[in-house]
Amino acid sequence: MSDNQTPATYVDSANDNATEQTTHFGFKQVDKGQKASLVANVFDSVAAKYDVMNDLMSMGVHRLWKRFTIDCSGVRAGNKVLDIAGGTGDLTAKFSRLVGPTGRVTLADINLSMLKVGRDKLRDRGLVSNIDYVQADAEALPFPDNHFDVVTMAFGLRNVTEKQNALNSIYRVLKPGGRLLVLEFSKPTTEQLSKLYDMYSFHILPKMGQLVANDAESYQYLAESIRMHPDQETLKGMFEQAGFEQCDYQNLTGGIVALHRGYKF
Amino acid sequence: MPTSALVAAAAESLINKILSLDEDSETRLKPLRDARLTAFVSPLPYGITLSFSDRIDVLTEQGTFEEAVASLGPKDCCIKTSLQTLPELKETSQLTRLIQQKALVLEGELKVAQHVSALFQQLDVDVEEILAQKTNDVVAHQTVKTVTAVHEKTMRALASIGQVLGNAVVEEKQLAAHKLAVMHFSDEVNVLRDRTESADARLRHLEEKLK
Repeated sequence: MSDNQTPATYVDSANDNATEQTTHFGFKQVDKGQKASLVANVFDSVAAKYDVMNDLMSMGVHRLWKRFTIDCSGVRAGNKVLDIAGGTGDLTAKFSRLVGPTGRVTLADINLSMLKVGRDKLRDRGLVSNIDYVQADAEALPFPDNHFDVVTMAFGLRNVTEKQNALNSIYRVLKPGGRLLVLEFSKPTTEQLSKLYDMYSFHILPKMGQLVANDAESYQYLAESIRMHPDQETLKGMFEQAGFEQCDYQNLTGGIVALHRGYKF
Repeated sequence: MPTSALVAAAAESLINKILSLDEDSETRLKPLRDARLTAFVSPLPYGITLSFSDRIDVLTEQGTFEEAVASLGPKDCCIKTSLQTLPELKETSQLTRLIQQKALVLEGELKVAQHVSALFQQLDVDVEEILAQKTNDVVAHQTVKTVTAVHEKTMRALASIGQVLGNAVVEEKQLAAHKLAVMHFSDEVNVLRDRTESADARLRHLEEKLK
């Protein structure tokens, strides 16, 4: 990987006058208005093979990361849960059983293809009674204020154009006492792991995408978008800026992924 | 990799697989629907929650026992105990004694704990029938017969070894004197040596006088 491929630090384009109207799409700079449709194209392309590719790419470990997120969610029977960028419904399936008939889970995703795959998968498993499906933009959530007990977002935040707007919007829909959990790729904690991870994501991942999903570009974007995502401390700062309290994060698998948590009081 | 998640995932798969092999488990699961049992078992570093629906979801509790108790719902139960006490929980008649001895702390709905205990104690898995479906009746019967025989022999051997070791500890170890007894004996020897030396000195003194 050449040096110009990986930026040293995350730059919030919203605060940069020179690039006010642009944002990153992987390593490319694009108009802010364009990013959502470009991301949509990526997920339209990978939706059908999304679960298979997740298992292949992470060697199944993504299931443990998601399970850990659920463990940290503190979800109880009767809770209202919002699973943003819920994709194919991995978290929603478990939340649905945990909140029981008196609770409600809302699976929200901006991408209709992903939402359809998730809906079909959950219905096939017999999970129908307490799940709502909503096509929604994380930056402007179509829900009332103070509505959800728990909001989760697994591997979705890095695809959002204005991440701070999304966090502000989530803060608005959370009930006081509610918590937000964001599971997202992050920065490996050791130099050796970082090099190994770069080699894997820039050389092996796109080839795997080509082989299984016949789409190398989308997986190239995945690798690039991970590098452009804010690191652990920066994201924690963004949580605090949105108003969340008692913010913390936990590195998983050497920081390849981090689980951020914040409360609204 | 979150180890706790890996353990919970393995436990969840195993429990649900075993329950699926017992047709009656569905009936015993019904009264537990939407209930939760959280157990903090020392020295395990985190609590384990069993959440019941048409199956069992296993979660790890990242908070403390007190935090779990604070968020108990009407159909939830939370227990705190130790690995040594776990086998005693099979006997529901022992619960009061264990609580009085503070070997068990139980908060929330007691019935949930009793139903969970019944769910696992009344498990009736016909291993021979399951094996027969994958092989044939003769192979299944012989396999189960052999495994049962080996198991019984092993248990007998273990019991015998246990008895021998028990006897060795109780009977043989008694031959070795206690540390205090050795010290006491040592002191008495010292006193005797001092007296002997003193008597010896007096004798020499008397001999010299007689000369």
